[in-house]
Amino acid sequence: MFILTKIADLVQIAPAQFEKHSRVAIEDNINAKYSNRVIQKIGLCICMYDLLWASEGLIGHGTGLVNVNVEFRLIVFRPFKGETILGRISSATPEGINIRTDFFEEIFVSYKELPESCEFNHNAQLWTWVVDDDRMYYDKNEPVRLSVIDEVWHDQVPESTAEDAVEQAKKISPYSIQGTMMKEGLGVCIWWDDTEE
Amino acid sequence: MKVLESQAALLTNHEVYTFLQNQAREYQEQKRRGPGNLETLRRELLQYLRSEENPLSQEPPTYDDESVAKLLKRLRPYEIQKGEMVMIMNLRPVNIPMLNAVLEDMEERFTAEEQEDIVAGVEEVLGKFPPKAQEEGDVMQTTENGS
Repeated sequence: MFILTKIADLVQIAPAQFEKHSRVAIEDNINAKYSNRVIQKIGLCICMYDLLWASEGLIGHGTGLVNVNVEFRLIVFRPFKGETILGRISSATPEGINIRTDFFEEIFVSYKELPESCEFNHNAQLWTWVVDDDRMYYDKNEPVRLSVIDEVWHDQVPESTAEDAVEQAKKISPYSIQGTMMKEGLGVCIWWDDTEE
Repeated sequence: MKVLESQAALLTNHEVYTFLQNQAREYQEQKRRGPGNLETLRRELLQYLRSEENPLSQEPPTYDDESVAKLLKRLRPYEIQKGEMVMIMNLRPVNIPMLNAVLEDMEERFTAEEQEDIVAGVEEVLGKFPPKAQEEGDVMQTTENGS
């Protein structure tokens, strides 16, 4: 689920932060910029893992900012294709099931990726897996296991500077995951919990 | 910003969990707070890693810094890919269907005895949830009595 990504960047430390130790100021700056942000084709950044290198600080003209070149490693959320992960059902539609984790909401399992003989109940807005005469429910909030089959990237650059274009671009999530539950062991966790005995 | 190496390493959930817990403790000791976006994400991520289906939620903890090495040693006879090993660490498959969810083409690659031995090895090294006590007045059942 998690990887380390090595990044080079310029950190600018404002005079108000001069009272902090340089190491703390650099770490806070990096985390303020990256934490909980998506980098396209990299993943959702969690936080700085370690600082590998930092240059001498150079004071910029006119601004009083101290510029420091840094290299560091970030912890990044980026489940690989084929990886099985845990999530929770957040909602369901005839198109499939939306799944979230506590920190990431954009996971979707299409109806095509549910086991055969699944049906959608429009009144209850939930999917049901019918096995012989048993009905098993994909209830909201149930913990599930799913396997990642694809990822969708969207850099939120608006088509124009018009306000509605900017709003429109922000509506599409920058990173979303598509999964499957069509394999034994995937789907609602409790279905597979007690099969051992 | 320049990406120097997009995937320098894979981390297990336990490594991330330990890192974030240590960070939270250090910040507290130094009486400092990280940026708001980090504080929020750390709280949510720790909550996820401690959620009930997650093996890291078990008390007392069954994972430690030696777990990866012990698991690799125990499962050495089997050709298990690196990514699969990370999933085994993260999800702790303690029965055959769960193992099937983390190993590609399990049936073709491993005999029934081998599958049993892998599952047994996972339990030996990483532990297993104690059997769930039956809860009184099961809520999930009562909502389904429409028919």
